[in-house]
Amino acid sequence: MNPSIPPSTAEYGGDEVSAIVLDPGFSTTRAGFAGEDTPKSLIPTYYGKYTSEGQDRLIFSDDVFVTPRPSLSVHNPMGRDGIVEDWDMAEKVWEYSFTSRLTGPRPGNPFQNGLNDIADGELPTEMEGVETEEKPLADSPLLMSECGWNPTKAREKTIEIAMEKWGTPAFYLAKNGVLAAFASGKASALVVDVGASNISVTPVHDGMVLKRGVQHSPLGGDYISSQIRALFKANTPQPITITPHYLISSKTAVDAGQPSQAKYKTFPPGKAPDASYRTLLEERTLSEFKECVVQVWPGPNKLSATGPSGVSNEEVAKSNPGRPFEFPDGYNQVFGLDRYRVVESLFDAKAAIPDTESPFPAPTQAQTVPELIKNALNGVDVDIRPHLLANVVVTGASSLLHGFTDRLNQELMQTYPGPRVRISAPGNTAERKFGSWIGGSILASLGTFHQMWISKKEYEEHGPTIVEKRCK
Amino acid sequence: MAAADVRDMLDLPAEGQPRPHKKQKVVEKRPEGITRELYALLGERAPPIAINENRYKGRPKWMSKLRVRPWRMAPFTNEARSDGLVLHHWQRQGDTVKPALEGPETEGEEQKQDEGAPQTPDQEYLFAKYNVKARVPRRYTDEEYNRHLKSDDWSRQETDYLMDLVEEYDLRWVVIADRYDFQPHPVDAETNNSALVPANQVRTMEHMKARYYFVAASMLALEHPPSEMSEAEFDLHEKMMKFEPERERARKELAALQLERTADAVREEGVLLEELKRITANEQNFIAERRELYSRLEVPISVGNTTMYQSSQGLSQLLQTLLQADKSKKRRSILGPEGAAPSPAAQTPAPNANTRDSRGETPSNAQAAPTNKKAAAAAAANKEAQQSIRTLTPSEEARYGVQHHDRLAPGVQFRSDRAQKLTQAKSNVQTQKLAAALAELEVPLRLVMPTERVCKEFEKLIHSVNLLLDARKVAEKVESEIRVLEAAKQERERKAKEAKEKEKPEVKTEQDDNPAPTADVATESTSAAAAALPSAEGQETAGGTEDKEAEAGSGDTGEATAREGTSQKRSASVLSNTSDKSTKRQKKYLLGINCLCHLLVSACTRNQDDDPQTSIRR
Ligand SMILES: Nc1ncnc2c1ncn2[C@@H]1O[C@H](COP(=O)(O)OP(=O)(O)OP(=O)(O)O)[C@@H](O)[C@H]1O
Ligand SMILES: [Mg+2]
Repeated sequence: MNPSIPPSTAEYGGDEVSAIVLDPGFSTTRAGFAGEDTPKSLIPTYYGKYTSEGQDRLIFSDDVFVTPRPSLSVHNPMGRDGIVEDWDMAEKVWEYSFTSRLTGPRPGNPFQNGLNDIADGELPTEMEGVETEEKPLADSPLLMSECGWNPTKAREKTIEIAMEKWGTPAFYLAKNGVLAAFASGKASALVVDVGASNISVTPVHDGMVLKRGVQHSPLGGDYISSQIRALFKANTPQPITITPHYLISSKTAVDAGQPSQAKYKTFPPGKAPDASYRTLLEERTLSEFKECVVQVWPGPNKLSATGPSGVSNEEVAKSNPGRPFEFPDGYNQVFGLDRYRVVESLFDAKAAIPDTESPFPAPTQAQTVPELIKNALNGVDVDIRPHLLANVVVTGASSLLHGFTDRLNQELMQTYPGPRVRISAPGNTAERKFGSWIGGSILASLGTFHQMWISKKEYEEHGPTIVEKRCK
Repeated sequence: MAAADVRDMLDLPAEGQPRPHKKQKVVEKRPEGITRELYALLGERAPPIAINENRYKGRPKWMSKLRVRPWRMAPFTNEARSDGLVLHHWQRQGDTVKPALEGPETEGEEQKQDEGAPQTPDQEYLFAKYNVKARVPRRYTDEEYNRHLKSDDWSRQETDYLMDLVEEYDLRWVVIADRYDFQPHPVDAETNNSALVPANQVRTMEHMKARYYFVAASMLALEHPPSEMSEAEFDLHEKMMKFEPERERARKELAALQLERTADAVREEGVLLEELKRITANEQNFIAERRELYSRLEVPISVGNTTMYQSSQGLSQLLQTLLQADKSKKRRSILGPEGAAPSPAAQTPAPNANTRDSRGETPSNAQAAPTNKKAAAAAAANKEAQQSIRTLTPSEEARYGVQHHDRLAPGVQFRSDRAQKLTQAKSNVQTQKLAAALAELEVPLRLVMPTERVCKEFEKLIHSVNLLLDARKVAEKVESEIRVLEAAKQERERKAKEAKEKEKPEVKTEQDDNPAPTADVATESTSAAAAALPSAEGQETAGGTEDKEAEAGSGDTGEATAREGTSQKRSASVLSNTSDKSTKRQKKYLLGINCLCHLLVSACTRNQDDDPQTSIRR
């Protein structure tokens, strides 16, 4: 058969084996059945932990946000670099993501679920050999995603969990850059993923990551949040404090720029949740702020530069009508130039708003998006660079920032005036947010993909090292 | 009027045939949900609205006869896998003739991959056929490696590693180069630490390709010696053997440079490309127009007969048709000033009127003068006649291409015709020689762009070529004579030795015969010497002199050549003591002519090249 002749439409495509696709991110974990167009299960990767009646309890999913329990603390099993730190908790969070909505909870021990009345000491001997617990993924092949710089140890740990804890019959680990490229229908692309913890640039050639070109920097959505916090701190009429909804009992409308008049809830000492809970909820407000106020200066040139007509870009930005935002406590303000400044440092490191208390160190120019792309291209063979530039795929929820793709386009055209630069970014919000999940959904439902799975048999034969060999 | 009345009037039999029955009224069934009264109100003709029965669209009747084919979750194996993994997908039950698995039993079973009935062996998994691998050469054996593939630069381990990678990534070099990370095995490094391979060598894609191609080509050659290879194999072998990593590297460097051009460079390139496009477009235009011109020029020649235009009636007819054609075409003239002439008649070219006029006359300057005077007088008269209308300054004349002729041949003539005529000598041999000379100079026999200047230069060239040919002929003759005479001299000397005492009068008679031919040669050589002078007058006279001979071809008198021929014959037989001096001179003269020719040719070709552009610019 000639591989250069594409298969006919009848032969093209899908053969669904009810695989589950799991795309764990730093801020959210996405899971769903392969072949569907959005993940059925979308939960925050953050989980809550509190003690009640002397027992440690865990809260998963959106339930974390709901009740400010006493001493509730919020944690994330993922590290800031996108690599799992707490494997036990990561396993639990991920398992929750598919058992809660997709496969159903695992049936408990038949002896403990109350359906079988067995007198004490009367355990039938023939039942002993039976596995007491059915593993949650016993029927479903599992496709998981990982970041491009995931170390071998972490990959092996992942397959171990999938095979041994979840009992999946077949497993595959794919790079989320590759999956995002597949989601936009490309086998070769330069994927720019702007997530919560990281911005990553992944060159993909023929469905394979070019490892030497993979670049990442910590200027993701959380960094933008820290910039917004820095802006609020230095706000001119008065510094803005974010008070999450759970701390407010009532509020009244105030004029723009006027101090808020809200009644606050107070917790008796010892009953208040942990500070990390407040941070998480503040983050929700900041996300909202990012969605409806923040804007990227669309270019050409930096925000600090002067336009062709001699008017500085900042002046132009100022003359655009501002955008109002109301905080949970009723305080509201119109944001003008400032809404551009908080994200300018993604492109121009010097424009970062300084904040000594921020957990993020001041960015360097090498961490900005254009530099990442430049370095990524320099890491791959020169012959495919023009092709990659013509297939830039933008994905990740933070890339939904207003004007992001325009600016990226401008920057790339400026750095590479010769070759054709083409950015493909889905206009559909869901497609942008779940780019790598959708790619996984496509991949795992392809008939031709089923030869790629690592089967349980192979795992048992070779051990976890097989993941390095097979998932290239 | 009823039909019956008409029948009546026409005396036709009444009701010959029974009338066709009125079409049975279709009674539409009253749909449910509408009362009878309401339905009656609709009248006979129902309005064109669809009365919907609010029901589901049923299956077509033929379908209800079919049995429903259930889908079921069926296990399958994939031939592209080696481990027999069983996955499950939905499958129409009718599609496979598989014993139906009984529900409760299978569901109750634990689905381990070893269990579950895979599909029948005759049914291959639909997607297994897309599992294709790139063709890589057979792996070498130890012996083959040691004999053919050893390299100072590549250890055996690294070569193995490379071949593994190539196979694993199906020859995707971009990926191979990306993943290439050869760590010499520590044990190996210790055992043969004398090995030449440095531990941390950076391999570029070119290194890898060069090595792989070398190995692959060698293996190919081992399998079939190059002499037995099929064509495709041989091509592949050649290609792989000829891979040049250096060149590839240089190319990539250039590609990187090209990618990192500045905006200015890109802009400049754009401008240049635009310019190039414009130029090529112009050229295309020009070529098209020139072709059109050619087709026009070629028509009269192919007809070959211009006599019909030589009467005034014919002329006016031609003018008429040309005007018509002009009007219909509205073609922009590309001929430049000359093309702007109102009618072809005015185009009658007269380049070198002087030289042409002087052709029939003696070539001496003294005799040429009066004709020139005559011409001048005629021109003056012409001018006077024109002055009454409008005086043109010489520069204007040059611009409009106005020319004055003292004598006009009747009828229409083409300038190109005249140039053409020059290339036809009287004798076929001469014509061929002329053509050969022109071919050698890479001047086309048929002028590409017979403008006046070009024609003039061409004429000059032809003259010089004729001159050259003649001179060559003479030189050859002289040389052969010298040879003959030398032989004779030797003979004579021998004879003289033999009979020293006897003196015969033969020598004297020979000497008596000499004067006339030597004089002949002398005049020729003097004129030739004059011609060799690079002065313009010298050329002119030389041209004039040679013209006389060249005339032999085109002109009416063949005597000149005939005379010359005879004289040369005579001299060949008789000439005894042609001085060495004169032969030397002849040679010099030949050289001079040669140089001249080259000059002329270059001028001629340059003109030809120039002219199109000048006409474009205009
Ligand atoms: N419309 C929006 N505009 C701007 N930012 C948004 C928008 N929606 C979500 N975000 C931000 O995007 C981030 C989440 O992005 P995403 O879900 O792609 O990250 P992730 O995949 O979970 O993390 P990572 O890729 O770093 O592992 C959050 O920081 C959120 O604030
Ligand atoms: Mg992500």
